Amino acid sequence: MKRIAIVGMPNTGKSTFFNRLTGSSSRVGNWPGVTVELLSARTILGSDAVEVVDLPGIYDLHGFSDDEQVVRSFLENNAVDQVVMILNAAQLDHQLPLALQIHKLGMKPVLLVNMIDEAEQLGIRIDARALSKSLDCPVILMSARNGVGLKEARETLIDSLLSVRPVKPHVLKAYLHADDELVAHAESLVSEHVTAPSRLVRKMTERFDRILLHPLLGLPLFFLAMFLVFQAVYTLGAPLQDAVAYLLDLFRGWALEPLAGLLPTTLYGFLVDGLYDGIGTVASFVPVIILFFFLMAVVEDSGYLARAAYLTDALMARLGLDGRGFVMLLMGFGCNVPALMGTRVMRSRSLRLLSMLVIPFSLCSARLQVFIFITTALFTPQQAPVILFFMYMASFAAAFLTALLFGKRLKSDEPFVLELPPYRMPVLFQVLMRGWHEIAHFLKRASTFIITGVVLVWWLTHYPEGSTPGGAGTYASMLGDWMQPVLGPIGISSMMAVVLLFGFVAKEIVIGAIVAMTGLQGAALNGYLATQMDSIQAISFMLFILLYTPCLSTLATQLSESRSWKFTGVSIAWSLSLAWLVSFGFYQGALLLGY
Amino acid sequence: MKRVQKSMTNLSRLGTGETAHITGIHAPDDVRQRLQAMGLRTGREARVIRCTRLGPMQIRVGSVDLIMRRCDAARVEIAACDTVRIDIATKK
Repeated sequence: MKRIAIVGMPNTGKSTFFNRLTGSSSRVGNWPGVTVELLSARTILGSDAVEVVDLPGIYDLHGFSDDEQVVRSFLENNAVDQVVMILNAAQLDHQLPLALQIHKLGMKPVLLVNMIDEAEQLGIRIDARALSKSLDCPVILMSARNGVGLKEARETLIDSLLSVRPVKPHVLKAYLHADDELVAHAESLVSEHVTAPSRLVRKMTERFDRILLHPLLGLPLFFLAMFLVFQAVYTLGAPLQDAVAYLLDLFRGWALEPLAGLLPTTLYGFLVDGLYDGIGTVASFVPVIILFFFLMAVVEDSGYLARAAYLTDALMARLGLDGRGFVMLLMGFGCNVPALMGTRVMRSRSLRLLSMLVIPFSLCSARLQVFIFITTALFTPQQAPVILFFMYMASFAAAFLTALLFGKRLKSDEPFVLELPPYRMPVLFQVLMRGWHEIAHFLKRASTFIITGVVLVWWLTHYPEGSTPGGAGTYASMLGDWMQPVLGPIGISSMMAVVLLFGFVAKEIVIGAIVAMTGLQGAALNGYLATQMDSIQAISFMLFILLYTPCLSTLATQLSESRSWKFTGVSIAWSLSLAWLVSFGFYQGALLLGY
Repeated sequence: MKRVQKSMTNLSRLGTGETAHITGIHAPDDVRQRLQAMGLRTGREARVIRCTRLGPMQIRVGSVDLIMRRCDAARVEIAACDTVRIDIATKK
C-alpha cells in the first residue's frame, strides 16, 4: 500500500484536511522509530488504497522539540511515497522554509496552500502556477474548511502517486545547516509570486484582542468564558442525561426484563441489576461528556487558547510553568491523556516533566461524571453546583501547589514563544468529529475496563454466597475492612474503599460499581449512598477521587511520554499522598469544627 | 510616522507600536533555532503590538504574530538606529 505523510506548521488546518481526505476511519497507531502514537487512516485515492499519516505540527524539521524529533524519525524510518505539506496562505513567508527543507530532502512535496479564503480577504494574491514552476512541485490553493480546491488537491495526489518512487531519506544530517540559504530562497519566492499589502490588517482579530487581551479585563473575561462553558455543560447536559437514562430504563422494562426473567435469579441479578444498570448509568453520562468536548473544540478551534496562554503566562511563570502549561491544564479538563501528549511541544525536559506532573490534577470529564453523580444524590440542587465549583478550585490549587513544590527541582530555560493565530469560526464538521471520537473512545473504554471493573465489583459485593449483597460478610467488605486503618481516618467506609480501589483503573467504574453492588437505582440508590456517607464524608471522598491517580491510561501515558519509571512512580506516590493528606485535613478539620 | 532616536539593543526594550530590524539572536544553538523557525530572523522587521509590565509581549514579524516573554525578547538584538513609531490600531 502506498503511504502519504501530511506535514505542516501548527494552525494551518492540517487536521481539518486530514479529516476531509480520509473521512472518519482514522486510528491511532505505533510506528517504527517513533515512540509516540500517530493518527493514520486508510482511504481510496484513484484506484489505490492509500495510508495517510498525520504528523504533528512543527515549525522546523531540524528543531529540538519532541514533536520535531518525532517527525524527523518518522521520515527516517518509514518509507513514504508522497509528502503533503499544508501551508497557511496568509503566512507563506513564514512557512515556505519548511517546504524547502522537505524539498531539499529529495521528497518532492505536494504543497496545499490552505485558508486561501482568509488570505484573499486580507488582500493577498498568490500565483500558484508560477510558484509551482519555481519550486518544481505541485501547488494547490485550497480552503479545507469550506471545501474549495479539495477536489483538485485529491486529483493532484492521485496523479503524483502514479509517478513517485518511495524515498527513504538518510541524508538528513547533511542538510542541518543549510537553513539560512533556504530562508533566503523562500523570501525571493514570496517576493516574486505573492503580492500582499505591506501591512496585514486583521480588523476583526485586532478588535477582539483589544477587549479579550485587555490588561485588566482580559483575565476576568477569560474566567467568565470558562464559567459559561461549564454552566452550559451542566444546564444543557442534565436533561440529555435524563433522556438517556429514561431510554435505557424503557429498554430494560420492555425487552430485557421479560427476556432475562427466564434466567435463574443469580444470573438475572448479575446481568440486569449488575452489568446492565452499572454500564447504563455510566453511559447516561456520555451526552454530558460529548457536549463538554463540543464546547472545548469550539474554544480550541477559535484561537482563544493561545490568548489564554498569553493571559496566564505571568502567573504561570511564578510557578515555574508557562502559559502553555495552563492551556494543557484546561485541555486536561476534557481528558488528561491528550493534555499529557500536548506537552510534546515543550523542548526543555524539566518543563515537560513538571507540566506532566501537574496535568493529572486537572478535573477530567470522567471525574466530573462521578462528582455530578454524587452531588446529585447527596446534595440539594442549590448546593450541588457550589460543590462542583469548589472541586474545580481544588483542582487548580493542587496543580499550583505541585508546581510550586517541584518547580525548584525542575527548573528550565525554555523560551516561551508562541504563535498567536487570528480568531477563526470553528468548523462544524471538525467539532462534530471531536464528538464522534469521544463516543468511540467511550465505547472502547466501556467494552474493556468498565465492564471488567463492574463485573469484578459485582462479584466482590455479592459473594461468598449467603452474604448480604453490598453489605457485611462479602469479599468486598473484607477487603474494605482491611483498608480501614488507612481510609477510616478520611471518612471513607469499607464499601466505598473497594470502589476507590477500582477507580484507580478508570473513574467511570466508580459510578458503575456503586450501582452494580447495590442493584439499586434512583431514590433507593440515593438512600443507600446516604447510609454510606454524610455530606462531609462525601466531600472528603470526592477530594480523594479528584487528587489520586486519575486512571491507568493516564499513568501509561505518563510512562510512555516521560520514558521514566522513576518519574511515573513519583507522580503516583505524590498524588496518593496529596489525596490522603487533603482528605484527612478536610475530614478531621470538619469533625473538629463540630460538623 | 515619526522616527525615534533611542539607543536600544534588544526587542524587549521596545514599546507598543514600535518597530525595528532584527540584527541577531543571542541564545544557545537550540533556542536560536526555535526562535528562527518561528520567524525571528536577522534582517526581518519586528513590531511590538502589545506589551504589559508583567505579561508577555505580542510581536509581529512578517505575517506572523507571536507572544513571547520579555526575557526571551531580550535575546533578540535589534538595530538601534531605525526604530520607527507607527500609530497602529491597537492603542494601549
